[in-house]
Amino acid sequence: MSDKNKGLSKAQEIYLNRSQRARELRAAGKKIIGYPCVYVPLEMLTALDLVPYQTCGDIKEPVTEADRALPHSFCPIMRNCLDCALKGKDDFLDGMITIHSCDPQEKTARVWESYTNYPYFHFIDMPITVRPEALEYFKSQLNDFRKTLEAFTGKKLSTDKLEAAIKSHNQQRALVRELYELTKPSPPLISGTEIVQVLKALAGLPVVEGNDLLTETISEVKNRTAGSEKKSARLLIWSSILDDTDIMQVFETKANVVMNESCGGIRAYRAGVKFTADPLEGLADYYLNEITCARTFRQATLGETKKDYARDLQSRFGYLKGIIKEWKINGAIMLLVRYCDPFAFEIPSLKDYFDSLGVPSTYIEYDYTTGALAPLRTRVEAFLETIS
Amino acid sequence: MTKVVLMDKSGNLLSAIKGPTGPEHRQLANEVMRQALEQASLQINDISYIVATGYGRLNVPFADRQITELSCHARGVSSLFPNVRTAIDIGGQDAKCMKIANGRLTNFVMNDKCAAGTGRFLEVTAATLGIRLEDMGGISLNATKKIQISNLCTIFAQQEVVALLSHGEKPENILAGLHDALASRVAALVRRLGIEPDLVLTGGVAKNIGMVRAMKESLGCELFVPEEPLLTGALGAAILAKEIYMKAAAEGEALPTKSRRLEKATFFT
Repeated sequence: MSDKNKGLSKAQEIYLNRSQRARELRAAGKKIIGYPCVYVPLEMLTALDLVPYQTCGDIKEPVTEADRALPHSFCPIMRNCLDCALKGKDDFLDGMITIHSCDPQEKTARVWESYTNYPYFHFIDMPITVRPEALEYFKSQLNDFRKTLEAFTGKKLSTDKLEAAIKSHNQQRALVRELYELTKPSPPLISGTEIVQVLKALAGLPVVEGNDLLTETISEVKNRTAGSEKKSARLLIWSSILDDTDIMQVFETKANVVMNESCGGIRAYRAGVKFTADPLEGLADYYLNEITCARTFRQATLGETKKDYARDLQSRFGYLKGIIKEWKINGAIMLLVRYCDPFAFEIPSLKDYFDSLGVPSTYIEYDYTTGALAPLRTRVEAFLETIS
Repeated sequence: MTKVVLMDKSGNLLSAIKGPTGPEHRQLANEVMRQALEQASLQINDISYIVATGYGRLNVPFADRQITELSCHARGVSSLFPNVRTAIDIGGQDAKCMKIANGRLTNFVMNDKCAAGTGRFLEVTAATLGIRLEDMGGISLNATKKIQISNLCTIFAQQEVVALLSHGEKPENILAGLHDALASRVAALVRRLGIEPDLVLTGGVAKNIGMVRAMKESLGCELFVPEEPLLTGALGAAILAKEIYMKAAAEGEALPTKSRRLEKATFFT
C-alpha cells in the first residue's frame, strides 16, 4: 500500500482541502499571496519568501455573492473565484495579485480590490501581443511589480534570490514534464484524473514542497506494476481550464486523457525560464512568449500583410503537433468554458489545424460547474463512438 | 418518452412502443418493455441482446450495452433513408445535427446554450397561446404573414408573444414566426456541420407540419420525415444490438449479457 502522507495520496488530500497547508504556513508566520492566473510570475514571490496560492474558486460552490458585483453573462471562472473571495473563503490571504491576461480578469480585479481588504494588492498590466515592444513594456510592468513587493515585504528583491527562485520553479516545470512522460505508455501509468489532483495541489504549495510532492509522485508511479485501465482512445484536451476530477471523469470514464493542455494541466509547465543578465528579462520572455493561452495574439510573421492561413495556424497551434505525435493522440477535445471569448475565437481555426493533421476533434462547452454533466457525457461518448 | 423497438435477426420489426418515462427513469423502462414484449408475444428471456440509448441509457437495468442517441439516431435514420447524409433531430431536451456516412455517425453538433433551438421552445409558447402542441403546425399554415420573433431565449420569446397578443396580432401569424425563429436557429446549427443532402428531420418536432415547412425554407432544400419520427433512436439501438449480436455470433464470441429480470429497479441500493 502507498504511504498516506506521500505522493499521490498526499496530492489527493491537498486537492480535497487545498487551503489547509496555506493556513498552517500562515500560522507559522509566512505571508500567503493569492493569484487567479498562471501568468503571474511566481518566482518573484518565492524569491521574497512569500507563498503563492492560486485561487481557483470552488467549482462545486453555486455563485451567489458575486452576482451583486459582476454581470451574469460573464466568465464563470472569475465569477466563481470572486464569489469565494466575497464569501470569506480566502480569508487567509495576505495579498492578491491580478493580471490583465484577459478582460474578465482585468475587470474583476477592480471589483476584487474594492470589495476585499487584503494588506497587499497589485495589478499587472500584461500586453496582448508578442511584439518586441510588448516585451519591453511587460518588463517595465514586472519592474513596477517588484517595487510594490519590496515595499510590502520591506526586503530587497536581489538578483541572487530571484535566480534561485527561477531555478526552483524551472525544476518544478521539468518535474511536471517528467510526470507527463508517464502518460506516454499505453495504457498510461498515471491517469489524467490523478494528474489533475497533483497539479492542483502544486498550485497551493510553496515551490520546494511542490517539488518534493512531484518527486515522490513520479517515483511512486514509475514503480507501479500495472498502469491505469486502457480505454478506447488517447485524448488531448485543449481548454482554458480543466482542473476538476469530476469534469475529467466525464472524459476518462471511456478514454485515457494523456494530455491536458489547459491551466489545470501542462500549460504553465511546458517550457522553462531562460537565465538572462537581468532576470526580469527572462521572466518577461517566458510569461509572454512561452505560455500558450488563447489570450495572446500571435502573428505568423511580424508585419506580414499577405495572408497565409497554413502558416498562421502553424504559429498559433504548431506546438500541438509534437504533442500529438509523441503522445500518440487519436482524438482531440476543445473544451470551452462558457463566455470565454479568446478560446471560442480559436476553435474554428484549431479545428482546421487538427483536420490538417488528421486528428478527429470535437468541441464541447461547459460552464465551470459540475451540476449537469449528463449532456457533456453524451457529447463525449458520441465523439468516442465516431472515432472507435 | 421511453421507446422500445424489438427486432428479429433478419431485421424485421416485431414491436415498437412509446410510453411515458416518468420522473424516475429506471422505474418505467421495464413497463414499456413489458408492453413491447406483449405486442410481439415474446418473453424477456427470448431477447438476445439489448442496447439502451438516450438520457436514461444508464438507467435501464436489463440493457447489455449503452450507446449514445447520436449514434443510434444516425443508424436508425439511415436504415429508413439509405441516402441520408445529414440528420436533424429536434426533441424536447435538445437539438442534434448528425453527419452520416455509410450508415454511421461521423460528426455531430448539439445545441449548447439553453432551451432555444429545442422543442421546449414550442411547448412553452404553445401554452402561452392556449394552443395544443399538436395543433400548432396546422394552425400556422393559415398565417397571412410571418411575425418576426427576435428573442431566441424561450422565456423572452414567451414575453414577446404575450406582447404581440396584446397588440391584437393573430395567433397563426405569431405561430408562423415562432416556427421560423426555431427553424433558423437549428439551421444555423446544421450549417456548422455543412448541409449535405439527403436531409432527414426526426424527433417530436418533425410531427409539426409548420416546423417541417419552416425548416425546409431555412435550409433551402428538401427534407425527409420518417413516418414515426419519435422512434428512430430506438430503431437504431435495435439495429445496433442486432449487428453486435450477429457479429459476435459469426465470430463465435460469447457476449456478456445482463440478467433478464423485468423488475422495477430501485435507486440507491
